[in-house]
Amino acid sequence: MFYLNLMVNGVVEGLIIGLAALALNLVFAVGRFPNAASGDFMTIGAYAGYSVQQLGSHSALVQGLAAVAASVAVSLASYALVFRHLVGRSMVAPLLASIGLGLFYRSIVSLLFGLDPLFFVMPPIHAYTVAGLRLQGTDLWLATLAAASVAIVLLLLHVTPIGREMRAVADNALLARASGIRSRRVMIALWSMVGAITGIAGLVVALRTTVNPELGWGLLLPAFAAAVLGGVGSPAGAILAGLLLGVMQELSTPWLGFSYKIALSFVVLTVVLLVRPQGLFGTAQVVR
Amino acid sequence: MLAYLVAVAIVIGIYALLTISLDLQYGFTGLVNFGQVAFYALGAYASALTALATHSVALGFVAAIVVAAIAALPIGALALRLREDYLAIVTLGFSEVVRLVLLNEEKLTGGGLGLTGIPRPFANLGPGAAEIAYLALVVACNIVVVLIVRRVTRSPFGRLIRAIRDNEVTVASLGKSPPAAKVKTLVLGAAIAGLAGALYAHYITFVTPDQYLPVVTFYVWMASILGGVSTLRGAIAGAAVLVLILEGTRFVRDFFPSILAVQMASVRLALVGLALVLFVLYRPQGVFGRALPR
Repeated sequence: MFYLNLMVNGVVEGLIIGLAALALNLVFAVGRFPNAASGDFMTIGAYAGYSVQQLGSHSALVQGLAAVAASVAVSLASYALVFRHLVGRSMVAPLLASIGLGLFYRSIVSLLFGLDPLFFVMPPIHAYTVAGLRLQGTDLWLATLAAASVAIVLLLLHVTPIGREMRAVADNALLARASGIRSRRVMIALWSMVGAITGIAGLVVALRTTVNPELGWGLLLPAFAAAVLGGVGSPAGAILAGLLLGVMQELSTPWLGFSYKIALSFVVLTVVLLVRPQGLFGTAQVVR
Repeated sequence: MLAYLVAVAIVIGIYALLTISLDLQYGFTGLVNFGQVAFYALGAYASALTALATHSVALGFVAAIVVAAIAALPIGALALRLREDYLAIVTLGFSEVVRLVLLNEEKLTGGGLGLTGIPRPFANLGPGAAEIAYLALVVACNIVVVLIVRRVTRSPFGRLIRAIRDNEVTVASLGKSPPAAKVKTLVLGAAIAGLAGALYAHYITFVTPDQYLPVVTFYVWMASILGGVSTLRGAIAGAAVLVLILEGTRFVRDFFPSILAVQMASVRLALVGLALVLFVLYRPQGVFGRALPR
């Protein structure tokens, strides 16, 4: 029963990692660089939700909208002001820029709100006990929210025209352009989607734990491990890998202890890169 | 005032070593090492532990260089198989894992409190002279390292690693072995970073895991880009400018005492982040140097 409870915890954690991995994966597949600032988009979303609450709104919907709006704004601004100008440069350039941007956002957030963790006040939600398994009401809500966002993103990618265009650009940017796909429109849609995903992920983390400037940055390594494990270019893979990693992390805590959670992501990342660099669901790339 | 300038110069010297190390790995060989701080930390802890156990600072320095170099071997094995962006994340992860180990293996490393009372060479010279003697040691280390790295980069091996940076496939097709050269550069670079760690640990006489956050790696990248990659002159100048910016922001508080120290630290980090972005965007070749390798 102890392990089952850990697993439930791991699933919620895994959904969060999966969302962060999805955001990384989208940029990786279309923009072709690891966006180290995506964790900090989450942080900004979390603080936006928190600020709205401080201003007196207790509606979860308003908080969520504020988080998404803030993250989308930051994501689009990062694209328009920085990443757009780095197309065609070596991969190190956008990677370095994203690290710099992340550091900048993180510092601005800690300048405005301080380094101390802040707490979201959530109305208590009834906890359920199903056959001895304890399910936190908040966790259920957050898991539903995360799962719903995943479903929406997958639908957008696979059903709508803009999603199809996005996948075309990810597959072969030149061919996509030759077929008349306007890349500007696709990139704006992409970065908006990344913003929305990170905003929701940030809010979910904030509600489960605390709001602090390192909230998103701390998730970068597990998210990257999940993105690679799932396979670059496979959104569903990112989510499944996130779930797998989340559950593994939780189940390993009795042996490894809480503090070595991140180390597990590192081991998974390294092993996957060495043994199966295309990930579980990705297609093999010639260059790795 | 003199004491302060000497202290700043010592820190510049230590950062110069780290920047030269990164320059050798990234600027000359094209290896995207985002885990520089790991080797710095390993050097600091190895030297501290050895010196505390044996009361010999010299042995500590040797241990720092050896431990950091050995730690680079598994990273070298990874670097051979990974594309540059993956290597960046793996090395960044490696540095965080090293910090976690330093934080959690309390029996060996003292955990979050770290190790204190690390012996400082020249301490018996008395205040003032001791610092100047330490600065001389840092400068001497820099001179030796620059001579070694210059010798390496101007040798046929130096041409080989630059060729690997520019086009690895061509190098391999000419019958040279890029993997062996990459591992050698990583190990040499790590040894230099380990030496920098030892110099730092024995200078401030205590080590804690908090000194080895990933931001140190970003500082070193900043210094490297400021100076322009793959020029040793630029590496040292970049380190100097970086430390002067970091130190200079301290004085801002003298004029605006209402700013809290915590806020100033945030402003400093924000400036470093912003500068990193602006340099990548507008001046990737740095203040002095040649363009970033494509």
